[in-house]
Amino acid sequence: MADKFKVAQPWLTLLARLILGVVLLVAGTLKVPNLPKSAMAVRAYEMLPIPIANFLGYTLPWIEIGLGLLLIVGVTVKISGALGALTMLAFIIAIAQAWARGLSIDCGCFGGGGAIDPEDTKYLSEIIRDIGLMGLGIFLYLYPKGRFAIEK
Amino acid sequence: MAANSGSDKGTRNLVIGMVLFIVAVGIIFSFISNRASSNFAIPAAVSEADGYGIVLNPTATPTIDIWVDYQCPACRSFEVLNGGYINEIIAQKKAKVVFHPLTFIGAESIIAANAAACAADENKFVDMNLALFQNQAGSENSGKWQGDAMLALGDSIGIKSDSFKECVREGNYVKWTRNVTDASASKNVNSTPTIRINGKDLDRNTEYGDPVKFKAALAAGGVK
Repeated sequence: MADKFKVAQPWLTLLARLILGVVLLVAGTLKVPNLPKSAMAVRAYEMLPIPIANFLGYTLPWIEIGLGLLLIVGVTVKISGALGALTMLAFIIAIAQAWARGLSIDCGCFGGGGAIDPEDTKYLSEIIRDIGLMGLGIFLYLYPKGRFAIEK
Repeated sequence: MAANSGSDKGTRNLVIGMVLFIVAVGIIFSFISNRASSNFAIPAAVSEADGYGIVLNPTATPTIDIWVDYQCPACRSFEVLNGGYINEIIAQKKAKVVFHPLTFIGAESIIAANAAACAADENKFVDMNLALFQNQAGSENSGKWQGDAMLALGDSIGIKSDSFKECVREGNYVKWTRNVTDASASKNVNSTPTIRINGKDLDRNTEYGDPVKFKAALAAGGVK
C-alpha cells in the first residue's frame, strides 16, 4: 500500500496543484473585471471594517491569481499549498459565520456576491467545496514534490 | 548536478519574480483604474455631500436615499410597485430624494447611469429614471442599451437638445459613476435596490415589496 502511494504521489501532487491552482486562478480572474463588486461581496459578510473589506475586495483576486499561477507551474508548492489551505480556511470561517448569523449572501467566490434571497443561499455546498480545496492545499504542503513542476 | 540546481534555482526565482510582478502591477492597475476623483465632471444636481447622488428637492426633509442599478430586475420591480409614490413625493416636495445609480451589473449600467445624469442636466431625471426601468431588457448585459439606445430613450421623453446628445455620446458622466460606487461602498450598500430614510435602512424583506408598508415606513421616517 505504501509502495503504491509512493508511486502515485507525484501524480497526486500534480493533480492537486492543477485543481487548486486552476480554481484559484479562475476565481481571481473572474473577479478582476468588477472589483467594486468583489469589494461588495467582502462587505456583505459583515466581518471586517468597511475600508479593510474594500481593500481586501480589490487585492484578494490578484492574490488568488498569483497563488494559482505558482501552483500550476509548480514553484514554491509547499508554501503556496499552505497559503491556499489557509485562504480556504478563512473562506470556510467567513461562510460559516454568515450562515450562523442568518445573513443571506452569495459567497462571491467566483465573482458575484452581496445580498440574495434567503432561499438562494448555498452555504453548505460552498463550505464542502472549500473543505475539499483546503484538503488539497494541506496535501500539497505535506507532499510538495511532484510531476511537471518547474521547481524540482 | 551543481550547474543543474543552479539554473533550476534561477528559473524558480525568475518565475516567482514574474508572478509577484504580475500581482503587484495588477493590484496597482486595479486601484488606479477604479479610483474616483473629486475632479470628475458631475451633473449640477449632484452633491458630493449626498454621496455623489442626484438630488431632488435639496432643501426638503426628510432625506430618502435610493440605490439602484438600472439593469437590476429587482430594482425594476421596486420601481413598478413604488416608483409612482416616490415621484409623487418628489413633485409635492415632501422629501429630499437622492438617487444613486450603481453600475455593478455591467457596461450598460454605466451607459444608463450616464444617460440618467445627462437627463438630470436637462431637468428630466425623474422621467429618464422611469423610462430606463420601463425599457429594461429581459436579461442583464443583453446589448439593448448599446449604440443610440439612450438617445432614442431621451427623445421618447422629450429630450431633444444637442447638449444631451453630446453628453450621452461623449459619456461625460461615466467617471462620476465611480464616485457613486465609492460613496456607496463606504456607506456599506451591498445590494440593489437599497432604500434608506435619514440614513436608516428600510426592511427589504417586508417593506420594499409591499406598497402599503413602504408608504408607512416612509411616513414613520417623517414623510407627511
